[in-house]
Amino acid sequence: MSATTTERGGPAGSGVRGTATSSSPARGGAGKPSHSRADTRAGYAFLSPWLLGFGLLTAGPMLMSLYLAFTDYNLFRAPEFVGIENFTALFADTRFLKSAQVTAIYVFIGVPVKLASALAVALLLNAKHRGQGAYRSMFYAPSLIGASVSVAIVWRAMFIDDGVADQVQQFFGLPGGGWVGNPDMTMPMMILLAVWQFGAPMVIFLAGLKQIPAELHEAAAVDGAGPVRRFVSVTVPMLSPVLFFNLLLETIGAFQVFSSAFIISGGTGGPADSTLFYTFYLYIKGFTEFRMGYASAMAWVLVLVVGIITAVLFRTSRAWVHYTGDVR
Amino acid sequence: MTAMTTVSATASAVATRKKRTRSVAFHVLVLAVAAVILYPGLWMVMSSFKPSSDIVGNVNLWPETWTLHNYVSAFGGIGGVSFWTFVLNSLILAVGSVVGIVLSATVSAYAFARISFPGRGVYFAIMIGTMLLPFHVVIIPQYILFNSLGMVNTFLPLLAPKFLATEAFFVFLMVQFLRGLPRELDEAARIDGCGHWGIFRLVLLPLMRPAVITSSIFAFIWSWNDFLGPLLYLKRPDTYPLPIALRLYVDQTSVSDYGAQMAMAVLALVPVLLFFVVFQRYLVDGVATQGLKG
Amino acid sequence: MVRTRTTARTAAVPITALAVATALTLSACGGGTTASAEAAPVDTDRDIELSLVWWGDDDRASRYEEAVTLFEEKYPNIDVQTQFQAWDDYWTARSTEAAGQTLPDVFQMDLAYIHQYASNNQLLDLSSQMGVNLETGEYDETLLGSGSVNGGQYGIPTSTNTLGMIHHDDLLDELGMEPPKEGLTWDEYDAWIREVSEAGADQDPKVYGGTDYTGTLWLFIQWLLQQGKTAFAEDGTPAFEKSDLVAWVERTQPLRDEGAFYPVERTKQVEPLTGLQVNEAVTELTWDNMTAGYAANAGSDNVSLLPVPTGAEGSQQFWKPSMLLSSSATTQEPDAAAALIDFLVNDPEVGKIFGTSKGVPAVPGQKDAMEVAEGSVDDTIVTYEEDVAERVTADTPIPVEGYGVVEVEFKRLGEELAYGNINAEEFADQWFQSAESNLGGQ
Repeated sequence: MSATTTERGGPAGSGVRGTATSSSPARGGAGKPSHSRADTRAGYAFLSPWLLGFGLLTAGPMLMSLYLAFTDYNLFRAPEFVGIENFTALFADTRFLKSAQVTAIYVFIGVPVKLASALAVALLLNAKHRGQGAYRSMFYAPSLIGASVSVAIVWRAMFIDDGVADQVQQFFGLPGGGWVGNPDMTMPMMILLAVWQFGAPMVIFLAGLKQIPAELHEAAAVDGAGPVRRFVSVTVPMLSPVLFFNLLLETIGAFQVFSSAFIISGGTGGPADSTLFYTFYLYIKGFTEFRMGYASAMAWVLVLVVGIITAVLFRTSRAWVHYTGDVR
Repeated sequence: MTAMTTVSATASAVATRKKRTRSVAFHVLVLAVAAVILYPGLWMVMSSFKPSSDIVGNVNLWPETWTLHNYVSAFGGIGGVSFWTFVLNSLILAVGSVVGIVLSATVSAYAFARISFPGRGVYFAIMIGTMLLPFHVVIIPQYILFNSLGMVNTFLPLLAPKFLATEAFFVFLMVQFLRGLPRELDEAARIDGCGHWGIFRLVLLPLMRPAVITSSIFAFIWSWNDFLGPLLYLKRPDTYPLPIALRLYVDQTSVSDYGAQMAMAVLALVPVLLFFVVFQRYLVDGVATQGLKG
Repeated sequence: MVRTRTTARTAAVPITALAVATALTLSACGGGTTASAEAAPVDTDRDIELSLVWWGDDDRASRYEEAVTLFEEKYPNIDVQTQFQAWDDYWTARSTEAAGQTLPDVFQMDLAYIHQYASNNQLLDLSSQMGVNLETGEYDETLLGSGSVNGGQYGIPTSTNTLGMIHHDDLLDELGMEPPKEGLTWDEYDAWIREVSEAGADQDPKVYGGTDYTGTLWLFIQWLLQQGKTAFAEDGTPAFEKSDLVAWVERTQPLRDEGAFYPVERTKQVEPLTGLQVNEAVTELTWDNMTAGYAANAGSDNVSLLPVPTGAEGSQQFWKPSMLLSSSATTQEPDAAAALIDFLVNDPEVGKIFGTSKGVPAVPGQKDAMEVAEGSVDDTIVTYEEDVAERVTADTPIPVEGYGVVEVEFKRLGEELAYGNINAEEFADQWFQSAESNLGGQ
């Protein structure tokens, strides 16, 4: 089991414990692995909803979708086995490749920009000034509503021809023109939307920053380290568990973005498929064209890719993530 | 003596001035960033009070002419379905989700955190794993399952998973919280004759209130904003929750009626914003401190 | 050891659940049962409930509600439950219902989908109802035939449609230009568009002669018919060559290169409206029944219709039922459903209610009952169809299975083309790829 605990997308986070190294539930003081029959019965009784949910809604469906990925199934007729045809078709499908590209750009550019912004603002807010609580809430608010349909609609309204963004551009002497109808500008627009929601990771960074003992900064300052050096050698290592946690969370979340793209592009995937995110194309294939075998194949490719990326993140984390337990 | 006091007095005066300038600079900078961040939200609200023709290119927040016409349109509903029906649908889904999640997550968390039984470690690892799993790998089979059970076009496919602890995030949140509660409480209750159910119900659950509150708030908001689920399973306009109704509204109103769209967008977000304003401390604290204890 | 036992037991639970889930779903896959076909006059003494579903907007919804009220007055024992969706969601919903054998008793059907639903035994064969609960005596034979698949009658057309060129006379007046002459060729039309776009280039916002029509599959089919070719073969696969498609795309490339068409960026911005409806494009080639909606959105009654450009062998226009009404194969109330369909297509009052919003009513009785004000948009459409009748010489192209999907693909490729992302060859290649996997059912 890896050393860090993780969790699925969403604005809140149970951060990583600075000192914990195990993710299994505390075995309490006793630590004796004796399982009384009463305990076993109780355990399964309490866990029954989860077990039922897991079996029926997660494990079962996962196996079924694995099966479907090798079939041609359109809901009307029984699934027809086609071997690896779906997978070979996938990689010859220009739209699939486009959707993979769109998603990759969004993840590999959007996530770092979002985290960098979150960290920057967290550093800014970390100084001892009044009004912290209010500011923190202000920056956090967008993350709560960012993925909503309402915001997607507003975003679209702001980035069309002669819209707010257009006016601002022209004010600064940049060429005008809306972003929504321009396939080259739709991705920046989506990334801006993602970055706008930096509040959630920012709050977590802020909490992490507050946990860094002031003595460490003072000691480094006494040793003659300037602010930049201190940032690199004290802040970043101490913050690394939180950084890792945010990175993991945001990356997995970014792969699953759907409703904003759907609304902004009017359900089409944007001008010339420029907002055709992977999950969006999956939805179109599965629920508009009813090619469910194909869509299942897409889903499994996604699982593999996310799995690989997660594994890579975990592996490389050993190199740069320091837990306070180790540092002392 | 006097010379030194003068010097130190001057030094401290300089220091105070420096501190104040830094403080002012700080506030200015943060407010500037905050202004940019909050602009879209404010623009949305203010635009909802402007006539449609004034909205698109208008960078100015303050409406030249105030109008309530947009809200009148929004309240008019769509195709014979009243606005309040959409609100009610969203409410049913959200409250249902909260109830389901609180019930199933607390119970599961108790099992993971407080009961020792064979397989617990494996299950816990699996649960964590589901948080990393892209949801899309299960939507098609789930859809097929619910379709064959005849549950499509009802709220059931959206609510049932909540009652079965499929949202691992909340289970995890509660497990973390429970780990912070001392085992002595369990022991004391056991001595008093309580079995697991008693310990759970009478001792730990009341103490879990902060985690339950935080979870409820997030569960409510996430359900309120949920789009993909209702999109898949709800096909009749009179069952639409607000996000789907909003989309239908946007599809139908001609492209120039931004006023009505803004008004409806604002109305759809009102409960979320209300929750935020009232419970912001729980939310932000919950995010920040939940796992970063000591 | 305790460990091994628990591992086995651990696995047992999810596996059982999986087994249950799989069994349930697989049992639901596959075809369904059809209702028995003995038609009898509809019962008037017991309570009957019918479901009626359509696609459309608010406006259509209120018209349907009016029509339903009239129907319920005629048949007090029948209660009609109504429902509607926007076009995209409509077919997703129907597909789900089809899979679950719960299609509505009466619902709107489109030519693009009728073949698929009929061959999968999803629709009620209305032939047994004709003459009993459903009167079709006044129908034009070929029109009625468009709802027939494999010898059975699966849909009743409600109204007619044919392609036309809508032109915005207000804009023409502003530019001081004349509308295109009737019966012009495609090349002449292209030249006319160029002229107008040049003239409109100084306007703010710019005005263009027409919208890029390359991405509309129906127009391509019209063009094919004019060359004496057929669109689809008996088995539903394309009956034309890739080279035909390439030729179609290439002939309009100069216009795209010159920027004479309404720009695609603007088209995306104003969706779901079109250039003509926002008063920035003067002409558009589309179905004639769209005229009413277009005029309303453009805010002007001064729009009229001309036939589509002609080919060497004449116009070869064809009637297309703008929509049909079908019934589910598994309906519990086939007689009542047929009666409802009969009412909706034949009753003159219903004709008045809908006007030309669905197209020109197929049944002359309804058409005559419409209150058509002279000079109104309704009048324009009706007159157009009467005038153009002699140009309508082609048979309605066969409604093939999977048409809906490849039509969407055609449009999407048209967009990519407009953005300059693909060329004519790639357009043809990709569309044929889609045609291969989606057309020509099993």
